[in-house]
Amino acid sequence: MPFRQSARHKVNNTQIYYIFYKVLDMILQKNKLALFFIVCLFAANSAFAINEPVETAKQVVEKFQTELIDVMKNGKQLGYAGRYEKLHDPVSNSHDLTKIARIIVGKEWEKLTETQQQQLVDAIIRLSISSYAHNFKDYSGEAFVFDSEEETTRGGVVVHSHLNIPDDKPVKFDYMLKEKGSSWRIINIIANGVSDLALKRSEYTSILQREGFDTLIAKINEKIDNYSKL
Amino acid sequence: MSKANSSNLDVKINKFISGILMATVISLSGCATTKDSEQNLSTNKDDPYENFNRKVFTFNDKVDDYVAKPISDGYKWVTPQLVQTGVFNFFNNLKNINVVINDALQAKFAQSAQDTGRLAINTTLGLGGIFDVAKHVGLEQNEEDFDQTLAVWGVSHGSYLVIPFLGPSTVRGVPGAAFDTAANPSTYIGFPIMAAALLNTRATAEGSLQFIDEAALDPYIFTRESFLQWRDNLATDGKSQTSNDVDDLDNELLADDKDTAVKPGLPINVSKAEPTKDKKTNPSVSLEAETKELEKTSKSLSDTTKSLDNATQAFENADSKIDKLKKSKK
Repeated sequence: MPFRQSARHKVNNTQIYYIFYKVLDMILQKNKLALFFIVCLFAANSAFAINEPVETAKQVVEKFQTELIDVMKNGKQLGYAGRYEKLHDPVSNSHDLTKIARIIVGKEWEKLTETQQQQLVDAIIRLSISSYAHNFKDYSGEAFVFDSEEETTRGGVVVHSHLNIPDDKPVKFDYMLKEKGSSWRIINIIANGVSDLALKRSEYTSILQREGFDTLIAKINEKIDNYSKL
Repeated sequence: MSKANSSNLDVKINKFISGILMATVISLSGCATTKDSEQNLSTNKDDPYENFNRKVFTFNDKVDDYVAKPISDGYKWVTPQLVQTGVFNFFNNLKNINVVINDALQAKFAQSAQDTGRLAINTTLGLGGIFDVAKHVGLEQNEEDFDQTLAVWGVSHGSYLVIPFLGPSTVRGVPGAAFDTAANPSTYIGFPIMAAALLNTRATAEGSLQFIDEAALDPYIFTRESFLQWRDNLATDGKSQTSNDVDDLDNELLADDKDTAVKPGLPINVSKAEPTKDKKTNPSVSLEAETKELEKTSKSLSDTTKSLDNATQAFENADSKIDKLKKSKK
């Protein structure tokens, strides 16, 4: 679907240029019809803006991937701090990090105080951005390719894609998205069959039960710290 | 399978088991005093032997830190990348014999033909496998092994096990590894080659191990979960994973308020909650824990032996299983 839309966009653009040309021609000829055409043109354009649909799940993923590749391309010049800065908005806007934080502590979530919950969400946001900033630090021709899209039983969408790496096996990236308000947000990434959410969940619940909340936060902070140094 | 081959397999399996048993005993005696058993709070259904596994994990980690990593680092330091790639390709090519066998056992005949082609091209044009020529003509390396074959045959992976020196596995993985070892020529060439194979494996794993180090809050759980998921994904060729995962998470989200059902592991730790505080001053409690530990360990070993029996049996019926798979594919 989105593919057809973008194709239509292109057609429309050339049409617009064509019309623009004609209009210019008419103005030059002082044709009264020109005014009418100009009005039409503006009307069409603004109608377009209103009708523009909210991003689909696929678009959310692809936008994020493009931004990630962009950061990788400039990774060396940006340095860790620069990459963190640049990735902050793309990550926060495409992921539902509150929900992610909630899922990875499972039933323990209810046992946390509101301050602790906020503290956890904050830590997860920083951890996610810093792990992206650390792991996607340079560029050697990698490219994300969209494979397919699939609806899950409970209204989620899974976007299947893979990352082509020159001289290496491609890595499968499956994104699971859920609707948050009117937009789609990533809540899980499954890389080569390993679910990030499931992995974190086992780790975090276990640490919470064994060692408590403060240790968990301390360990997360330690990881973020290491990411910034390595 | 001819009789001679299967008896050969038996010998291999026996050797393998006795090796594991010996290694386990050594590691246990080495670890018994290192750490008092932590109470098993979060019992994972795939990992009933977590306490034992954690000890072996710690042991393996030490072995890696003090022996394997230094050797592997030295190898990486003195050996040019080109040679390293050649060594990797060589062993990888030998592995393809096993891949072809397991393709056939899983009734993946087209893939089996492809992998045979890959093996033939790399052994000849690739000068005994040193160069991966096949990759450049579009024959990608496939990952198949006997553990996956057992999975396709319907054997569930069983409990998670960490094996001394060898690392993560499952009850199903042990006979799987025994078969794979038996089907790999480098096993028979002798010690230097086997050592080189091990070194190559460690050097190749460097990246993953480093990633675990960087990303894991609890390296034991991180390794366990990623290993189980990765094996599952390989066994199903990437099909079942996502949907299962998604459904699980969905269920979890729906259930997270209502379902606080007490898990089987919970009553135990409630009753033990107090003694844990002064565990060190109470020898009887820790003794009890140790005994339980040993019971569990011996159970994990008997589980493994049982699974070896099952695997042998499964193997005897291989013909009918392949036929069934063939039919189901049509």
